[in-house]
Amino acid sequence: MAAISIRNLVKRYGNLTVVPDLSLEIADQEFVVFVGPSGCGKSTLLRIIAGLEPITSGELLIGDKRVNGVPAAQRDIAMVFQDYALYPHMRVYDNMAFALELRGMPKPEIDARVRQAAAMLHIEAYLDRKPKELSGGQRQRVAMGRAIVRNPQVFLFDEPLSNLDAKLRAQVRAEIKSLSLQLRTTMVFVTHDQIEAMTMADRIVVLQNGIVQQYDTPEMVYERPANQFVAGFIGSPTMNFFPVELRDDVAAFAHDGTPVPLDAAARARLKGAAGKGVLGVRPEHFDVVASGATSAIAVVIRLVEPLGSDTLIHFEVAGTSAIARVDPSMKPKVGERLLMLPQPDKIHLFDAASGQVLR
Amino acid sequence: MVDAANTVTPDRQRVELAALSAPAVLFTLAMIAFPLAYTVWLGFHAFSSTGRQSFTGLGNYSKLIADTEFWHGLWVTLALYLLSLVLQLVLGIWLAMLLFNAKRLPGIVRSLFISPFMMPPVVAGLMWLVILDPSLGAANYILQAAGLPPSDWLASPIWVIPTIALIDTWQWAPYVALIVLGGLQSLPASVYEAAQIDGASAFTTFRRITLPLLLPTIVTAVILRSVDLLRFFDIIYITTQGGPGNASNTLNIYGFRVGFEFFNIGYASALMLTLTVIVFGVVLAFNRLRGAVAW
Repeated sequence: MAAISIRNLVKRYGNLTVVPDLSLEIADQEFVVFVGPSGCGKSTLLRIIAGLEPITSGELLIGDKRVNGVPAAQRDIAMVFQDYALYPHMRVYDNMAFALELRGMPKPEIDARVRQAAAMLHIEAYLDRKPKELSGGQRQRVAMGRAIVRNPQVFLFDEPLSNLDAKLRAQVRAEIKSLSLQLRTTMVFVTHDQIEAMTMADRIVVLQNGIVQQYDTPEMVYERPANQFVAGFIGSPTMNFFPVELRDDVAAFAHDGTPVPLDAAARARLKGAAGKGVLGVRPEHFDVVASGATSAIAVVIRLVEPLGSDTLIHFEVAGTSAIARVDPSMKPKVGERLLMLPQPDKIHLFDAASGQVLR
Repeated sequence: MVDAANTVTPDRQRVELAALSAPAVLFTLAMIAFPLAYTVWLGFHAFSSTGRQSFTGLGNYSKLIADTEFWHGLWVTLALYLLSLVLQLVLGIWLAMLLFNAKRLPGIVRSLFISPFMMPPVVAGLMWLVILDPSLGAANYILQAAGLPPSDWLASPIWVIPTIALIDTWQWAPYVALIVLGGLQSLPASVYEAAQIDGASAFTTFRRITLPLLLPTIVTAVILRSVDLLRFFDIIYITTQGGPGNASNTLNIYGFRVGFEFFNIGYASALMLTLTVIVFGVVLAFNRLRGAVAW
């Protein structure tokens, strides 16, 4: 178990800067998820921690030890790869025992560790099989078993669920979470799936272009996104954004001047940004109101997506496509006219130029 | 509505299938089945010097068992086969690893590495005859320059087999390298990263990961080289014609001489069929092995 310290880390490939200047502290026993779109540098960062990629400049500490030039094998980390990276010619048992054999561990101890990890992951029955004889989920467990037997200071996961189907992904996700609670080891998990990030992390690092956009708990990242990028990336369906401005102290959609029902506090935040900004409303933070509500926004439903537990309705507001999540008992119909009202305490306002949240 | 005119009946489908596959079937019959069947037929006959043929049954085969030259030819064939195969595998794998790791090697250098097997065997044979010439050749010049005694190379009954094996290795090890290189390039990179994290040294990685993963590819190379090596003819015929004496008289060379120098076509056919059976047996055995080492 160990904390991880990343200080002013820079990573370049030739002229291409992947990570410009990144600093991050991961506490001991913490489960941190790196999330971001493809090419944001999350996997590069994980591989740097693993020792599979050299650092251009900056400092990386695992525990109290500076590990910049330390080979991967000497960092006391274990990694679960996206494609599992099992040794295809070895039996499951040998896959799990390989690293311990290389350390010169006595055979009885290797056997005990392999069987203990196999029991923990319910793969005892597969120890004599080769990886090709296993399903995706079983291979995933073997990959985790191979990491567990080493009893490392840090576990690294590089998008380990992306090759699994949706049902299995949810199951393994829960298993990894419960494993983290059981092992109490520092874990760093990379994903582009914000649901994985939200459900598993103690803290989430949202990355874009190698820059940390926000590093906080899932609740804070969701409820108080630091900027428009984070707000748009976390949450599904994504947050709705509408350019707004103040016209004679009245908030209005920038597109057509239609009044926007914003309270005084929100208007004050807009005023502080020269009267211009971007209004963010999550799909679940629209209320459908009765026809008498004068301040509500009138919309026409363009598309209905029933999800069972709730229903998504697509509509257009001031030239912008938007989605709202409504109760399925409403039974909305395409073409139906509705009055919508953003929940005043749940709206987000961002600076139109920088995208930073307006506080 | 189903258009009756466009409906394909089972009979019509059968005719179409037969028509489409007929060229391939005819080609196979003419080029493979007929020559093989004719050789089998020839193997059961004896031919007199006037060209008269007579059925001898298994006579040619019983003669073969008693023929010391046949057993010598089989021994030479197997010795040359094993020596060449081992050399070509070791050098081929080494060369493949070199090419695989030398990512920045220009394409032309890679092409030069693998060019020997593109050379016609007659050209290669003549080139090596000159190089290995005991008095004028570059090989002995180099040996002497290094303070070593000159060798008779192809003229020595002891060294002729290793020398032919070396010539064949020079020509075909790059071919093995090319096959192994293809195998290396198809291996998953993440497995090597996992080995790196597990703490495997370069040697352990090669021995415990690369080599076992390459086995199916290596066995494929072994099969291809086995077929060629057991039927090895051209370079031997150009350089030694089976000599000195009968030191490099492989089954193939022996069969050729029996058939086309002594015109004993029936016995030559029996010899060649025996060699064919050996080739088939080796290929089948390695094919089974390939299945066993697949991962």
